[in-house]
Amino acid sequence: MQRPLKRIRLLAALSLAAVLGLGSASTALAVQPGGITDEAHEMHDLFLVMLYFSIALFVIIASALLYAIIRFRRKDDELPKQVHGSNRIEILWTGLPIIIVIILFTLSLITLFDVEKKAKQDALTVEVTGFQYQWQFVYDLNDLGVGEFEGEGTITIIGTPANEPELVLPVNEIVEFTLQSTDVIHSFYVRDFLYKLDLIPGRINTFSVTPRETGVFRAQCAELCGVNHALMRFTVRIVEREEFDEWIKQTAKHQSADQEDEKTVRANEREQ
Amino acid sequence: MDWLTTVDHKKLGILYLWFTLFFFAVGGIFALLVRTQLAVGENTFLANDAYNQIFTMHASSMLFLFIIPIWAGFGNYFVPLHIGAMDMAFPRINALSFWMLPPAAILMFAGFLVDGGAAAGGWTAYTPLSRQAGMGMDLWILAVLLLGMSSTIGAANFLVTMFRMRAPGMTMFRMPIFSWTMLVTALLQLLATPVLAAALAMLFIDRNYGGAFFDPNGGGNVVLWQNVFWFYSHPAVYIMILPGMGIISEILPVFSRKPLFGYKAFVFATMGIGALGFSVWAHHMFTTGAVLLPFFGIMTFMIGVPTGVKIFNWLGTVWGGSISFKSPMLWGLGFVSMFLIGGLNGTFSAAVPVDFALHDTYFVVAHIHYVLFGGSVMAVFAGLYYWFPKIWGRMLDERLGQLHFVLGFIGFNLTFFPMHLLGLDGMPRRIATYANDTGWEPMNLLSTIGAFLIAVSMIPFIINVVLAFRRPPDQPNDPWEGNTLEWATTSPPPVHNFDSLPPIKSERPLFDARQENKDTETN
Ligand SMILES: [Cu+2]
Ligand SMILES: [Cu+2]
Repeated sequence: MQRPLKRIRLLAALSLAAVLGLGSASTALAVQPGGITDEAHEMHDLFLVMLYFSIALFVIIASALLYAIIRFRRKDDELPKQVHGSNRIEILWTGLPIIIVIILFTLSLITLFDVEKKAKQDALTVEVTGFQYQWQFVYDLNDLGVGEFEGEGTITIIGTPANEPELVLPVNEIVEFTLQSTDVIHSFYVRDFLYKLDLIPGRINTFSVTPRETGVFRAQCAELCGVNHALMRFTVRIVEREEFDEWIKQTAKHQSADQEDEKTVRANEREQ
Repeated sequence: MDWLTTVDHKKLGILYLWFTLFFFAVGGIFALLVRTQLAVGENTFLANDAYNQIFTMHASSMLFLFIIPIWAGFGNYFVPLHIGAMDMAFPRINALSFWMLPPAAILMFAGFLVDGGAAAGGWTAYTPLSRQAGMGMDLWILAVLLLGMSSTIGAANFLVTMFRMRAPGMTMFRMPIFSWTMLVTALLQLLATPVLAAALAMLFIDRNYGGAFFDPNGGGNVVLWQNVFWFYSHPAVYIMILPGMGIISEILPVFSRKPLFGYKAFVFATMGIGALGFSVWAHHMFTTGAVLLPFFGIMTFMIGVPTGVKIFNWLGTVWGGSISFKSPMLWGLGFVSMFLIGGLNGTFSAAVPVDFALHDTYFVVAHIHYVLFGGSVMAVFAGLYYWFPKIWGRMLDERLGQLHFVLGFIGFNLTFFPMHLLGLDGMPRRIATYANDTGWEPMNLLSTIGAFLIAVSMIPFIINVVLAFRRPPDQPNDPWEGNTLEWATTSPPPVHNFDSLPPIKSERPLFDARQENKDTETN
């Protein structure tokens, strides 16, 4: 009878050791990408604070549990001391968590106010519209931020599942997004912004970020919106300001040409 | 026939258990389908539409047809026994509560037969998506309404039973913790479920009679659905976990041979969770841009405090004890360690700016499964191994029980731990497929392997139960040296439950009785 009992204890200890291992391994593994915007950097720091607090608490509590399991296993029929509790200890382990919670909440509140700061009136604005199952990005040529470009009208990028759209942004400038939806709820989620915000019919949401790195980043809808929710992907390309201005110029030229074509087509249709 | 017309709380409890375990299996098979689809990138095992139906029905059966009603099953069987009563207060209403479940299940699954398939909007059924969906959505709404009614009248029954039917000497503060958690759960159900019913009624009217509760073009509000839905469904998370905590709080003292550390603190922590549970619903909506963020942030942090108190009390219970590692205890310790993770990874979402990244990603999927599988499901198995000899008069085999636990524990962590990493790496939940260049495949594959390991771990459990039923009952009255009244009667108990009750002078009447026996023997 002794042997299986020992094996169980060993197993229990081993599985808990595995848990402990998981906890410490997560320090190395569970590292969120650091983000590419000012806001993301700050939110990532907050994430790390949460992570270190959690891992510390986990290791302390799980070790205590592990110790208790090994140390206090049943050896004989002697009844252990019948402790019913202790008010002092209860107050301690109610009070300490309250303090921890208030610290973490305060930190999260500071970060929240920082990342919720709105952009100035003249900042580059992109109007994002979600629809089943793609995205539309509209740039107002009068609202392109600090660029040299002079023009009237808008640039519209519309994606299709086969041709995922690209959202082009200049680096080191604050961008404001306005989000809206024409059908169901979608969510604008760029992993490297460490941020998402929903597109809700009947409501306009806005947020701003300042990207600090150039490159191409993948993004996709994060709110279940129907059959092809998984295919509602897009990319964000962050470029230097000159490249951005050049891109605007080229795209504007193409689109006005397209619009002219469309106008002639429509005019022809009317004549017929 | 007897089983169809019975109003005996024990038989109804057994019916609840079989019914809910069946839907645990169904929900589990759906989970395997989901995991198979996600095992590799760009998989075509399930079409997008089928995938959405399958994961919606996975959650719907697990939450509405398994976890919530299985506590009613355990509660039905053990609350009257725990408080020394002959039956529930209203036996016929009790039968009604149970018999509303099968038609609800049939309605919900009938969705697979109608045009457009079963509900596919997730168990959260967000508008406007749920306004667009096919007839399967209407069936789902009716099913959940029916289940809500069942749990509301069941809750009233539990409350009256605990307030009015306690045996002499069984004061409120001598009630077993399991009964206390059932009491708080019943209160939550009574207060929250009608709100869900209202939400479902509005959605049904919107869909079928041109209502505009959730339609901005008709003066309605899309986000209103989320507010009323979560006003129920956040407390519902506690409806799904509190009785499990109660079961663990029965098991840890028995197998540590010590009383529960801080009985009263535990009761107040349970009430605290229940009360705070009504003030945190909008933490599911931080990314809607339509929420008072600081308020729901601080309330969500605060709910961690009573939860922490419980974990510390469990630790205090085993500390200095004389612990034996029988199957119920293994699941009990599994619960404490895994629920600890589920509590900690939940606090990440209380920090609003961190939640902006994590919301609707696999990190949240990991969190909810550490709470509902690492917590609730482990408590279900703890309870089944613990009470099997009482309910069916037969012990379950220890070796098979250990095998079940070890495989299940490893499988569980293998399935759900990698989801943290996927979520941090930006994988949204509820996507039917992902591109190969996302780099999400290795962790998904690991998770799928873990899911099948969980399925394998059920084999020794099923063998164990089958073998037990093939043995003649050994009918041990009190195989674990229990503390509470159910162990004072035969296994299974007679229809009237008790021939005589021991005197009740504390929350551990059977422990007291054993001690007195020993004292008279030594004298
Ligand atoms: Cu979507
Ligand atoms: Cu919640």
